[in-house]
Amino acid sequence: MKITRRDFIKATSALGISLGMPGWALARAGLDPSSDGGAPPVIWLQGQGCSGCSVSLLNSINTMSIQDLLLNTINLEYHPTLMAAAGSQAVKAAEDRRIKGDYVLVVEGAVPTAAGGQFCHAWDGRTFMDVVKSYGKNASHILAVGTCASHGGIPGGKPDATGARGVKDVLGTTATVVNIPGCPTHPDWIVGTVAHIISYNQAPALDTYGRPLLFFQNKVHARCPERSSPRARSLGEGGCLADLGCKGRETYSDCPVRKWNSSGPNQPGVNWCVEARNPCGGCTEHDYPDGKSPFYEK
Amino acid sequence: MMATIKISPLTRIEGHLDIEINVEKVLGQDQVVDARVAGTMYRGFENILVGRDPRDAVHLTQRICGVCPISHATASSIALDSAFQATPPENGRLLRNLVLGSNFLQSHILHFYHLTLQDYVDTTGLLGKAPWQPRYITPDLISGSAARQLVDGYVKALDTRRKLQEMGAIFGARMPCSSTFVPGGFTEVATSTKIKDFAVLFVEVYNFISGVFFNDLLTLGMHFLKYLSIGRGCGNLLAYGAFEEKGGGKLFPAGRFTSGKYGKVDPGRIAEYVGHSRYTPRTSGLNPSVGVTEPDLGKTDAYSWIKAPRYEDVVHEVGPLARLWVAGHYRRGISVLDRLVARMLECWIISDGMARWLMELQPGKTGIHPTTVPPTGTGVALAEAPRGALGHWMEIRNSRLSRYQVLTPTAWNASPMDDAMRKGPMEQALVGTPIADRSQPIEALRVVHSFDPCLACSVHVLDKG
Repeated sequence: MKITRRDFIKATSALGISLGMPGWALARAGLDPSSDGGAPPVIWLQGQGCSGCSVSLLNSINTMSIQDLLLNTINLEYHPTLMAAAGSQAVKAAEDRRIKGDYVLVVEGAVPTAAGGQFCHAWDGRTFMDVVKSYGKNASHILAVGTCASHGGIPGGKPDATGARGVKDVLGTTATVVNIPGCPTHPDWIVGTVAHIISYNQAPALDTYGRPLLFFQNKVHARCPERSSPRARSLGEGGCLADLGCKGRETYSDCPVRKWNSSGPNQPGVNWCVEARNPCGGCTEHDYPDGKSPFYEK
Repeated sequence: MMATIKISPLTRIEGHLDIEINVEKVLGQDQVVDARVAGTMYRGFENILVGRDPRDAVHLTQRICGVCPISHATASSIALDSAFQATPPENGRLLRNLVLGSNFLQSHILHFYHLTLQDYVDTTGLLGKAPWQPRYITPDLISGSAARQLVDGYVKALDTRRKLQEMGAIFGARMPCSSTFVPGGFTEVATSTKIKDFAVLFVEVYNFISGVFFNDLLTLGMHFLKYLSIGRGCGNLLAYGAFEEKGGGKLFPAGRFTSGKYGKVDPGRIAEYVGHSRYTPRTSGLNPSVGVTEPDLGKTDAYSWIKAPRYEDVVHEVGPLARLWVAGHYRRGISVLDRLVARMLECWIISDGMARWLMELQPGKTGIHPTTVPPTGTGVALAEAPRGALGHWMEIRNSRLSRYQVLTPTAWNASPMDDAMRKGPMEQALVGTPIADRSQPIEALRVVHSFDPCLACSVHVLDKG
């Protein structure tokens, strides 16, 4: 019996839907012509942060330009820094998507949990903690971008009066949260993780801190070009900065190879902390900043 | 019939801001008759800094804001220089200025194109998907070929601001959040190659500013000339000055314009009030050098996490307009459009400075005079962020920070009412703004955005005394 292409697509779509595949992933596979072309909807929430991770994302060029990301690759349906809508029009855009589901939730900034979460409001009297929990429920993937959202970061530094926590702490062990730390994080780490999700409909393999092994498999020290150099004795000297407080031996990141602020597609960055003669501060780690302080002492 | 309109969240700023405006018909036209502006997020940086190694301050304070981190890096390293009694070598001063300059230009381009433009241009059909839709559509928006020109600028500007961050990283290790600002100077060495790489990008950026940015500002301004008479606010301006020059002067000098008169700036005459801010009443009215921050969540009559800084008990606005005004570069007027114009013109002045500093660099010479942490010391830095006057105050005891205080520009601009019921600059600027359509109060967005608010900065750092 001949099966038409249309019937084939309907059947595979039904199978895909019953497996819990989001609409945009089906469209990616060419299975659901009614969806919006394969660009996953993204809801980007900001809490106790500084927007540095968003600013860093805007620098994306090595893996993909920010123009390409926003115009062609994702549907950024909520982002407080970039979106045209304000107030209730903005909240409605987020709520409409939350109800539909099938979105990638990105959280930037820590979640204050003390005093019922009142140290940060997402909008109109709703605490950020409450909104994160609400949006975490219907998300197909959850990304905690930056060290603040991953582990509490600087707001969680002693004395931590606001109870600043990472997203995983707030959502609990049943939620799968991909931590993409860094203070700020690197645009390649975000774009690479999103690309993996779009291509395979699953998060990349994660380490024990929830970080993609793609970027966080090796310690900074393992690939530092200065590891065999003579030790610098005072700040401003080149060489190995171990005696000046470098935390490269206890920090996982690909900074020495990827470097920062790429000049174009498929280009490494122009510089990084140790190359610029400042010791690594360990900003991708779960215990940043307290466990890495003082930055200039061993 | 009065209406109360709340815009929560107010988007296309940095951080968390809510505004509430009362709108009423005055002489037949709806206009804002009262306004309240509120910061809605608190972190408590000041308490986090106390007890730490002073050298950590430059790194931690940068994370007050990811849009203008270099302003904090500059202010913190200058305050530390003072406390450590260190003077950076020439290359250190120049490299700090160059990275700070790149950060200013990046911030101003981001502000005009990515934070502000959508208030004035109908992007329907040009940027037809999220995050550019949904949006307010009002009859006064720029459309047609001018809209295409401005949207084209928006997309080009994404790449230009990225290049400015690359420039900052060539010397500053990475952007945002540079690791090379330290007491005693700057760790990276200015090699000939780095100077050349910086210069190549700088020329591209300079051409964008002089060409596309200038042109787009004029296009927007000509369509919205009425905004030269909207959003004046308090009419008083304050600048601490920034970009250290050889011999102790600054590219932008310090100064004040208070009740129509010019004056000097004495930081001892600044007081921060908390009458309507969520801090204990006993801490109101203190100078930042002895300030205290005690959050008071349940305080009645408080509506903001931002304090209310005042100079001699007078409300002052800070920012590019204030800097250009006190320096004499621009004195046309104070309004929404004047702020946008001043911000763009400032890019030229900073660019001129950057070209000069780049040429003054001595390739290969160190940028740092190494220092050690003193057992005691104090340091004050009066500097500028893209958004306006920025101050860092610090004290060291037993080689640790015993006090750290940051007074940011948006604290001045987005302050709530003080104890004497004086409204902040943004609140005052909103009052009198015409609102054509209560369901789409786009005029209020234009007024607020003209200040380029940065809320992570404004709910900030004051020490525990």
